[in-house]
Amino acid sequence: MAGSNGVGLSESKMVVPLNMWVLISNFKLKYNLLRRPDGTFDRHLAEFLDRKVPANANPVDGIFSFDVIIDRTMNLLCRIYRPAFTEEPQPSLIDLEKPVDAEFVPVIVFFHGGSFAHSSANSAIYDTLCRRLVGICKAIVVSVNYRRAPENRYPCAYDDGWLALKWVSSRSWLQSKIDSKVHIFLAGDSSGGNIVHSVALRAAEAEIEVSGNILLNPMFGGEERTESEKKLDGKYFVGIRERDWYWRAFLPEGENRDHPACNPFGPRGKSLEGIKFPKSLVVVAGLDLIQDWQLAYAKGLEKAGQEVKLLFLEQATIGFYLLPNNNHFYTVMNEISSFVNPNGK
Amino acid sequence: MGPFDPSAAAAAAAAAAAAASSSSSSSCSGGSAPKRHHHHHHHHPPPDLDGLLAGAGYKVRSSELHHVAQRLERLETALVNSAAHIPHLASDAVHYNPSDLASWVDSMLSELPSSSFSSPCLPSGFPDPYSPAAAALGGGWVDHPSCSPHPQPHQNVVVPQQPQPQQQQQLTVVTALEEDSGIQLVHALMTCAESVQRGDASLAGSLVEEMRALLTRVDTSRGIGKVAGYFIDALGRRLLGLGSAPASAFENEVLYHHFYEACPYLKFAHFTANQAILEAFDGHDCVHVIDFNLMHGLQWPALIQALALRPRGPPLLRLTGIGPPSPDGRDVLREIGLRLAELARSVNVRFAFRGVAASRLEDVKPWMLQVSPKEAVAVNSIMQLHRLLGSDPPRDPPIGSVLPWIRSLNPKIMTVAEQEANHNRPGFLDRFTEALYYYSTLFDSLEAACPVQPDKALAEMYLQREICNIVGCEGAARVERHEPLDRWRARLGRAGFRPLHLGSNAFKQASMLLTLFSTEGYSVEENEGCLTLCWHSRPLIAASAWQAAPTVVNSPAGVINHDDNNNQLSCSPVPMLSIETDIPSSIQ
Repeated sequence: MAGSNGVGLSESKMVVPLNMWVLISNFKLKYNLLRRPDGTFDRHLAEFLDRKVPANANPVDGIFSFDVIIDRTMNLLCRIYRPAFTEEPQPSLIDLEKPVDAEFVPVIVFFHGGSFAHSSANSAIYDTLCRRLVGICKAIVVSVNYRRAPENRYPCAYDDGWLALKWVSSRSWLQSKIDSKVHIFLAGDSSGGNIVHSVALRAAEAEIEVSGNILLNPMFGGEERTESEKKLDGKYFVGIRERDWYWRAFLPEGENRDHPACNPFGPRGKSLEGIKFPKSLVVVAGLDLIQDWQLAYAKGLEKAGQEVKLLFLEQATIGFYLLPNNNHFYTVMNEISSFVNPNGK
Repeated sequence: MGPFDPSAAAAAAAAAAAAASSSSSSSCSGGSAPKRHHHHHHHHPPPDLDGLLAGAGYKVRSSELHHVAQRLERLETALVNSAAHIPHLASDAVHYNPSDLASWVDSMLSELPSSSFSSPCLPSGFPDPYSPAAAALGGGWVDHPSCSPHPQPHQNVVVPQQPQPQQQQQLTVVTALEEDSGIQLVHALMTCAESVQRGDASLAGSLVEEMRALLTRVDTSRGIGKVAGYFIDALGRRLLGLGSAPASAFENEVLYHHFYEACPYLKFAHFTANQAILEAFDGHDCVHVIDFNLMHGLQWPALIQALALRPRGPPLLRLTGIGPPSPDGRDVLREIGLRLAELARSVNVRFAFRGVAASRLEDVKPWMLQVSPKEAVAVNSIMQLHRLLGSDPPRDPPIGSVLPWIRSLNPKIMTVAEQEANHNRPGFLDRFTEALYYYSTLFDSLEAACPVQPDKALAEMYLQREICNIVGCEGAARVERHEPLDRWRARLGRAGFRPLHLGSNAFKQASMLLTLFSTEGYSVEENEGCLTLCWHSRPLIAASAWQAAPTVVNSPAGVINHDDNNNQLSCSPVPMLSIETDIPSSIQ
């Protein structure tokens, strides 16, 4: 028995390292158990299975983290990651929010992925990713624990993202010394990337300055079945039917995938022309079945006269950025680092 | 993860085959898979764990990676072939210890009827996964050229080293710091604690005065102001050599009861322990629960009722409750026993109670518990073990003698609940800092949960006692020596216990219990077979279950060889209602 080719197990094995294959296949199998055909989600089992890590105010590899309840009524939690201070070995309670010492520090507001339904800010994979971002970009990362579908549909995740952005932008301790302003970048993978777009839009309308958007394999879609969806369905860990399930879980009941939250440049999309939208870095994995939607997104930004850089990684699958054992990881991290540190680092 | 050479691959494949045959025997039988007891061993983490997967929360040995991959593939194929199995795996199967990916996938496979597998279960016949021929067959994984395990020389990105899977010094802070005066207060507290550690009593004393003055300018009804007040008092007492205020057993019980009512922590501990005990007692007709701290016996009505509802009828339940001696000629233990006996009688559970009065747990000797060879024993310790970690030098902490006698009882299960915090660090400042964060979170949850008075005020006093003890006492007097799960795992492992994993069913029920508390903010988390109750992502209480790891030699006297496999034990006749109490000092 070789893996039966009908389920595409053989293709995915060829393009990722073994431990990456194990990790992503593990998620795929577990997530399969959580999605019920009637659209409900086994949240208890999901929380049981999700590997979480607590914050750690003691620096590990030069980075410490702590959780902040930024809104009690909404119970909105963020996990903040900072480089350790060189002078003191261990931060005390007050030092956690010690004002930034550098001339310029990018503050990355991060939205974890999970197709709107899975994971949390304290999921191990995302805690690890955020720590890497701090180390590589010399940034402060604020990871938002937004409300998830299907219990909380559109626009809950966006509202939480907006709340977090407002909170971050009003923290004096996050201001860069050079201009006493908070330099905010929005970043996210999968559904997090989708949230980045909406929050940035809202920020532009409210005239809160966002310095840049980073979208890693962002989750977009539409009613049409694109070539990439047809060609790659079920081949590299992801299938169309499950994508559909997550959109049904997130979008308002009765809506279809041309809803602007799913398809921002589709038939019901809104024009971004003339809007002061941040520059965008859009990373697309060449083996992601929704790449046509992601490429359309980048194109839509371009057509609206917005600044966008597209990074297309031909042989990358979903989740490539979760482990640093492939070239794509390094390519992307380099790009992100340059993107948030424009003065060269 | 370097490139593999063929001999290593062959060795890995052989190891994988051996592991597969030993752990999945049930799926290889011709008929339907027999019901498995999913209580897995927890081996001390082997050194060759895949570091990247560890960073994702999964413990997989590098040598096992290929084997796990094959099993995942097999599981996937089975589910694709028959999607009807999915609801079974999701709702009926119990999941354990998801961090151990190998055993998780094996347990999932064992849940499926062997007809779902179109191929022989042993992975023999797999081509060498690292040969080009295998790649052509699609049967194996290849080190694809674009996926080099090491960073390329031209990359200017340096990825920080993997964080250790087990943090040595975890310090979790959940905060919502707002006012400046709060910040000043915390600063003063830290400085004061630091001066205490240095032995600078006069500076510490003047700081205490300063902080008392600061308190008048801060909102002491909530948040940092409230917690700070208790820590300032505790520091003051320490400097005066007063230690904790002496408390009568009665006072302790009252405060405990209100703490129980005000927030879910004790209920979570009781509930989780009862679930595990119920499962452990399955199939046993004579069972004996030993409660290390009976208090008002709040934990036991639920267990009695659950046992009453057992499909094959309730067992004979013996309960031995340990508690402090009662003053004034009362026998509080007996009174509690009587009440529980009443309840048991009302639901037709044969019940016998024994009270063991002891001021300290270390005064209890195993013979007082009168454990019989024919019964299944559950030892239940809710926030008690940590009290055994302190001593006045040169004596050794009593835990060293208590754990062995527990083990000598060969309990079917030992349920343990402890505060998930490190309040036993040798350095005072470290302890103080940890406690400040821990109790801030705890008080925060009390605040938000808005329990009724007087529950809330008395619950706070209950916690204040703990703070006073941690900050104000040393040696044998300092009994609140909380330690986190990792330390208990190591300690219990060394003492000859192995974990019984709490699974997704216990998790789900604990989560549902929490929804009874209307406040959002509480959550249950799974931690390698243990369950923790968290407030806003900060674990506060950890519940775990243990059993004696098998040994070669039988332990000495008082030990009783339990025959676990014999479920058909007949019990010697015991009267319907039997209440006894013993006071150790009177029996020598």
